[in-house]
Amino acid sequence: MNNIALGRYIPFDSVVNRMDPRAKIMIMLFLMIAIFVPAGIWGYILIAAFIILALKLSKLSLGFALRSVKPMIFMMVILLVINILVIKTGVPWLQIGWFSVYSDAVYQTLYIVVRLMLMIIITTILTATTKPLDLTLGIEKLLHPFEKVGLPAHIIAMMISIALRFIPTLIEETQRIMNAQASRGVDLENGSLKEKVMAVLSLIVPLFVSAFDRADQLANAMEARGYDPQKPRTRYKVLSMHSIDYIGLILSVLILVCCISIQVLGLA
Amino acid sequence: MSIKTNELTHIYNPGTPFEKLALNGITLNIPKGKVTAIIGQTGSGKSTFVQHLNALLVPTSGSVDIENYHIQPGTKIKDIKELRKKVGLVFQFPEYQLFEETIEKDIAFGPKNFGTSEEEAVALAKKVLPIVGLDDRYLQRSPFDLSGGQKRRVAIAGILVLEPNILVLDEPTAGLDPQGAQEMMTLFMDLNKKQGKTVLLVSHDMEHVKDYCDHVIVFDQGKVKIESSVKEFFQHPEWMENIGINPPAIIRLKKMLNEKGFCIPDDVLEMDTLVKIVKEQVKTYE
Repeated sequence: MNNIALGRYIPFDSVVNRMDPRAKIMIMLFLMIAIFVPAGIWGYILIAAFIILALKLSKLSLGFALRSVKPMIFMMVILLVINILVIKTGVPWLQIGWFSVYSDAVYQTLYIVVRLMLMIIITTILTATTKPLDLTLGIEKLLHPFEKVGLPAHIIAMMISIALRFIPTLIEETQRIMNAQASRGVDLENGSLKEKVMAVLSLIVPLFVSAFDRADQLANAMEARGYDPQKPRTRYKVLSMHSIDYIGLILSVLILVCCISIQVLGLA
Repeated sequence: MSIKTNELTHIYNPGTPFEKLALNGITLNIPKGKVTAIIGQTGSGKSTFVQHLNALLVPTSGSVDIENYHIQPGTKIKDIKELRKKVGLVFQFPEYQLFEETIEKDIAFGPKNFGTSEEEAVALAKKVLPIVGLDDRYLQRSPFDLSGGQKRRVAIAGILVLEPNILVLDEPTAGLDPQGAQEMMTLFMDLNKKQGKTVLLVSHDMEHVKDYCDHVIVFDQGKVKIESSVKEFFQHPEWMENIGINPPAIIRLKKMLNEKGFCIPDDVLEMDTLVKIVKEQVKTYE
């Protein structure tokens, strides 16, 4: 539970850590769109190259990035199984009785897996190099123009930052409750279905109770400090863009443009 | 049922950026039927240590021996599940483990997990509730309607119902008022004196350590720094200072008296005796 890499901030002192969160969010957005442009293998190689560069600059190891994908392995396996059973086009690679594997099934799965992996790794780099508070400040600033049309940017940012802030707390809490229930003989791995349902219930109910407790306390604490989302606020931290931010933005836009032109020109 | 550990070492998240050596070669022998205090600063490895005592954590290297259970790297939980019944672990703020609709069901949850029948588990729940100072009327109430202190009692009943021989308590009095804390400690002492249960108490409260415990084990940075009897431990105020622990009031009072010219022997730990000595010395002085 503690080694979940997804969404955790790693306090390294690197170029990427020091980048402006707005730039990082925009870069992530551009790359995400690029991933969804079906630009074939060259598009993905471009994106992967950018990711490797970002990893190098952020002092994160490739292993760390790959570990963040680990929780998805189960989903990917299911995907592969479904694709093998459903997709029956392309070249048949394997035929045992009624069971057959076609090339398209494998290609399709690989395609989705690569996309998912790239997306998760990009997100992981963002969250690993950006403090949650900076991240939400960035989101708030980026959403600011939309406030004119009634979008409550500050409230959204505050909700996101609270949600992010409580992820590790809830993980810790889950671990604690799991331990406490394990001491009472709960065994999440073995046992019948009924026992397992009971085991999960014995986790979820206390987790909800404590989450609501915490929400209550937090709301009180915020109100006691005079928090009012409608009031104008000043900032302790002022964001500023530097050359590295512009370079990153330009690179990511270039990648996006490349991917789109590959697609449009039909080079894929 | 004594607890032995041999070169017990635990590393969290080995091979990741979060790798942390939490326990570093702990060799201990915790005596049966006694009350042993485990103290140390936050992050000293106390909690990691106690989680090894009912195999919530398995050692990275070294071993733990409790009765005829042997836990070493690679031990499967399946094979030693019964150990969790023998060693009752009461976590900090145990009230957060309550989840059932009624107190009766919640207390009966533990025994049922270990294969006791529904009726028997309910009977056990009825039997254990008075031990924690609540009566039958509570059985059908929801645990979420209770006060904080009562919830904790119910949660502790949920552990006691398993009839553990060893009781491990992680800060059982945290967040309770002084009276509630004292009642709680009296409850544990009764279990120790009347039923002969071995008690391990993780605590920051030196008053409790002084008043209730027989032995003290001090953890520091994943190692055992001091292992001694309570009497000896409190004769060395410098030990407590070294590990940043606030000594009990009587030790501080003794220090102040000595600075003012009184001569209080090191082994005085009772307030009554201290008062007597001070009276005598005042008399002689006059």
